[in-house]
Amino acid sequence: MTQLLESLRPDLVRFAHWLSRDRAIAEDIVQESLLRAWRSRDALREPAAARAWLLTIVRREHARLYERKRLELVSLEEVADTPDGPRLAAPDADLLTLRHAIMRLPIEYREPLLLQVLAGFSTEEIARELGLSATAVLTRLFRARNKLRVMCGMTAAADVAEGGPES
Amino acid sequence: MTCDQARLQIGAEPDGTSPDLEEHLKSCSACARFREEMRALDADLRRALQQPPETAARRRLRLRPRWREYALAASVVLATVLGLGVWLLRPSDSLAQAVVAHVQAEPDSWLATQQVSSGAIAAALRGSGVELELTSDKVTYAQNCWFRGHYVPHLVVQTAQGPATVLILRHEHVTARRSFREEGMSGMIVPAGAGSIAVLARGGANLDTVARQMQEDVRWLP
Repeated sequence: MTQLLESLRPDLVRFAHWLSRDRAIAEDIVQESLLRAWRSRDALREPAAARAWLLTIVRREHARLYERKRLELVSLEEVADTPDGPRLAAPDADLLTLRHAIMRLPIEYREPLLLQVLAGFSTEEIARELGLSATAVLTRLFRARNKLRVMCGMTAAADVAEGGPES
Repeated sequence: MTCDQARLQIGAEPDGTSPDLEEHLKSCSACARFREEMRALDADLRRALQQPPETAARRRLRLRPRWREYALAASVVLATVLGLGVWLLRPSDSLAQAVVAHVQAEPDSWLATQQVSSGAIAAALRGSGVELELTSDKVTYAQNCWFRGHYVPHLVVQTAQGPATVLILRHEHVTARRSFREEGMSGMIVPAGAGSIAVLARGGANLDTVARQMQEDVRWLP
C-alpha cells in the first residue's frame, strides 16, 4: 500500500499544484491527503481505483484549505480576467501563454477542468464530486475553455447562457 | 440540435460525440470548425498540464500545527537571531539567485518577437504596486509573476543589442547596485524608487541603459 501511494505521489503533487498554484501548499495538501488515505486504506478495494480515489482526497483537501485560507489563496483571481493576453511568436511561447492562462482561471472553472483533463473524470463524476448538476458542469467546462481561448488571444465563442451563434 | 447545444457539448467535452451532434456537424461548418479548434486547444491543454506550473514557493502553510512545533519554533527563533547577522550581510546574493532562477523557469520569454499589447502590459502590472510609462515600443513579453511572495511585472524589452529581461521589484530593497553573472546571463539589480529593478541579458544588451530607462519609466505607488 505504501509503495502504491508513493508511486502516485508525483501525479498528486502536480494535480494539487495546478489547483493551489503553489508548490509548498501542494506538497502540504498531498502529505495530508496521503495520511488520510493511509488511515482509511480499507475503503480502497481495487488497487486500480487508487489514482481516482487519491485525486478525490487531494481535491477535497484543497477545498478544505481553500475555505479555511480563502483570503490568502484567492489573490491570483484578481488577474483572472486578463483583457488581452500577450500573443507570442514561437509555438512554445503559445504553450507558456496557455499555462499562464490556466493559472489565471478562477477556481470554479479551473477545478472541473483539471478534474476532467488531468484526473480523467467524466462529467458525471465531476458533478458528483463538486455537488453540481451535470448541466452545470458542462457549462463550467465550456466556459473554462472559452476563457482560455480569450486569454490566449483567440475569439470567444458566444456564451451558452447568453445565446449562441446562429445555425 | 441547435448551434448553442452543439457548442456547449463541444466546449465541455471536445472529444465527446453523440448521434445528434454528428448529424448537426454534417450541416454546420461553423460548429465543425469550432470542434476542430477546441480539439486543438485540448491537445495543447494536455501538453501544458504535463508539468506543474512555474511558481515560486510561498511561505509554507501548516495544515495542522502541533504543540511540538511551538517548541521547535523557539529553537528556530534562537537560530534565526544568531543567523540574522550573516543573513543581513548577503541579502542581494539570494535575491540575485532568485531572479536568475525565475528567469530560467520561463525560457520562452526570450524567444518572443512580437510587440505585446498595452492591455497585456497593464495586466502584467496589476497588483504589483507600480505603474509604467513605457517609452519603449519594444516590449515582447509581459507577465504578472509570483516572485518571493509578491506579484511582479516580468518584461522582456528588445534593444539594438538583443533582448533584456526586466523584473520590477516593488518589495525588494537593495542598498547599492549589484552586478552578477550566472547561468549564461549577465544581470544587475539596482535600487529604484520604493524598491528595486532587476535587469538581465543573455546577449549584448546594455544593462545600464535599460536599467536607467526603466528607472525613469516606473512610477512607484505608495
